[in-house]
Amino acid sequence: MSSHLPKKPKNKGKYKDTINIALAGNPNVGKSVIFNQLTGLSQTIGNWPGKTVERMEGYLDFLGYHFNIVDLPGIYSLSTYSLEEIVSREYIVSDEVDLIINVIDATNLERNLFFTFQLLELKVPMILAINQMDILRKRKIELDFEELERIFKLPVLPVVAVHGTGVHQLLEEAIEMVVYRYSHSHFDSSEPEEYEHHRHDYYRDEHVYNKVEKWPPLKKEFEFPDLSSILSFGKEVETKINNLRREIEKNQDYFSGFQYPLRFLAIKLLEDDEEIRKIFENNEKARSSIEIAKNYRNELEEYHGEDINTIISSEIYNDIHKIIEKVVSIKQKEKVQKTSFADKIDHLTTHSFWGYVILAFVIFGIYAFTFTVGDLLGGLIDGIYEDLSVTIYDTYGEDNLWIKILWNGGVGGFFGAVGGVLVYVIPFFLIIEILQDSGYLPRAAFLMDRVMHAIGVHGKTIIPMILGFGCNVPACAGCRIMETEREKKISIVLSSLVPCAAVMTVVMGLVGRYLGLFWVLFLLAINFTVILIVGRLLNKTMPGVCTELIMEMHEYRVPNYNVITKQTWLRSKEFIFKAMPLIIVLGITLEILLELRALDPINIVLSPITVFWLGLPIITGVFLIYGILRKELTLVLLALLASSMGLTLIELMTPIQMIVFCLVTMLYVPCFATVVIIAKQTNWKYALQISLMEISVALLIGGLIHFGYIFFTTL
Amino acid sequence: MIRSMHKKSHRYRGHGTPLIKCLTECNKGEEVSIINVNAGHGAKRRLANLGLVPGTVIKKKLEAPFRGPIEIFVKGTKLVIGRGLASKILVECNEACSF
Repeated sequence: MSSHLPKKPKNKGKYKDTINIALAGNPNVGKSVIFNQLTGLSQTIGNWPGKTVERMEGYLDFLGYHFNIVDLPGIYSLSTYSLEEIVSREYIVSDEVDLIINVIDATNLERNLFFTFQLLELKVPMILAINQMDILRKRKIELDFEELERIFKLPVLPVVAVHGTGVHQLLEEAIEMVVYRYSHSHFDSSEPEEYEHHRHDYYRDEHVYNKVEKWPPLKKEFEFPDLSSILSFGKEVETKINNLRREIEKNQDYFSGFQYPLRFLAIKLLEDDEEIRKIFENNEKARSSIEIAKNYRNELEEYHGEDINTIISSEIYNDIHKIIEKVVSIKQKEKVQKTSFADKIDHLTTHSFWGYVILAFVIFGIYAFTFTVGDLLGGLIDGIYEDLSVTIYDTYGEDNLWIKILWNGGVGGFFGAVGGVLVYVIPFFLIIEILQDSGYLPRAAFLMDRVMHAIGVHGKTIIPMILGFGCNVPACAGCRIMETEREKKISIVLSSLVPCAAVMTVVMGLVGRYLGLFWVLFLLAINFTVILIVGRLLNKTMPGVCTELIMEMHEYRVPNYNVITKQTWLRSKEFIFKAMPLIIVLGITLEILLELRALDPINIVLSPITVFWLGLPIITGVFLIYGILRKELTLVLLALLASSMGLTLIELMTPIQMIVFCLVTMLYVPCFATVVIIAKQTNWKYALQISLMEISVALLIGGLIHFGYIFFTTL
Repeated sequence: MIRSMHKKSHRYRGHGTPLIKCLTECNKGEEVSIINVNAGHGAKRRLANLGLVPGTVIKKKLEAPFRGPIEIFVKGTKLVIGRGLASKILVECNEACSF
């Protein structure tokens, strides 16, 4: 196909050659694999403005064109069930995107085409990419692509994303659409040969290309095919939608600002979509339509005896069923399937006994993996820093003020962030991506749903919380998988309370070593009780209700090497460039404070809390402040202090002080990197609120233990 | 008498009338078709979008322990539904299904 495309000289007008593409589709259809194949390492990860939804972006240069590609979140429909759906909907109709590539899983056409139907209603230029064709062929099932193109009057292309076949053809098709102003009339021809002949007509318009200075936006000119034959509903529903659309047309000027097609507005208003209703409520004239839609809805619901969404969804699924009967042909009846290896693993991981054993192993494995790899690399990096420090001190003198601030604070902060956090974060992201890509995590959510309901959230929350056992940073970032803002916020709080590997270092190194495992379990019990109570309280106080679990359980698959490495790098990159600079600045600030001898006053200022309320040695005030940077610092500094005084830790602190100290370290505030991530996920106000809440909880429980102990010993 | 109360499904055995029950009461591996989803607006829309509309044939696959969520097979994919929601899905036993 590419041979037809005239090779275009590069750098010929910057804007003329930019094509903006959005990838849309259901979750787990191979969208991110295609995205990775196309964009490689040029990806960036960010948030949709003002939303807690992740935005994946990348670009590539292909055949002389610059492609900006946005990987939209995987969703099932364009309603307002989740933030992802709202974000996607708004983005697709915006001017920022020229055309959509709808990725469809060939092995699950029915549900995937449901989403395609929703996209069609938005009337944007679109290419259908049917993925996983290899699996379909293996099952001896054939798809009639020409028939599909005739039905949808849009290009439909086969893709095998994991092998990269057909992926770049998508872009060629995109160039055709944008540059050659795709004409869908070619699909109307019923003769296959004639159809093939027509298909390439517009390639030959080379002289047109040379004339145009800058392409006008495709969307404005795109003549969307008339798909009324497949998009129309049953008679009752269709009349109501048409009437409603005519009603809306009266205020066309107002609605043109929202870029949604009028028919889409009519359907969504009939469905009583919250966001669309708001658009109508905000305009005097349009408001009357709400009432009309309500009457129509009631009529329809009475007539069918069903809820409006059920009526509309059923009709769409019926249409899809007809299409599938037309295009799918099974060449060979499937043999009685043997239970595959994936099925066996599935059976084992959801087993009512072995499932939990495996889950425990996975959590333990995350701990073990993060610890071993992190400690190994961290030790190496700390070694490098210490060696370098010796050289630096020898050359410039240890007491040089600038050396202290820049080296100890800046470079030390940098090495601290690399050796103390990054080395844990990267292997951790890696293991998480493997778990995620293989499909294990939904199984954990399935097993833990019942338990999580005790906390007041549903099973999916266990996924970020499992991540939290390794490191709270990816855990809080992982909360994006929750559907609603409310669930996201609750999961962030709960994940930030999970004892991470660093916290466990402190607990094991202090309480575990000197007081025994029983007290470690005691502390963990308190920690989980706090999670339970906080979860329940948040559930009570946050507006909205706890939604029930609805989650697709994907088949197990061998994790895709490319996706995993790129995702790991992408997420680590986010941490390196966003959180690390802040950590370095904080390191310098701390060093300046230390230099100004501002820490002694801080110890004194904190002493009512540390000494009186918690019963700790006065010096711990500063340690706890350092602990915000890296939680294990509290232990490291304590050990340093003890050794400088020639004491062991148990001589420095009483057992009860150790327990209180560990407990406060566990709970008092998420580490600085976590706070930064929370702020990036939500906002700084919320991040500070969480920190304040956790500080007060830690102080409350720490104080209770301290005074409880005094009370019982004096009895 | 008491025993038959416990095993609800036995009451209708042999009558040929389809048995109406909620999804939570189904046996593992049972194939049923949906009659009605009695849930709230949002959940109902979500389920409808996923293809759980009246008439759809589903198969109950698994039930998590401790009265946990339910895994079903619908339209070629596995779906997990929280127990509270599953109890609001009314299904009808297909003629062919074995009790």
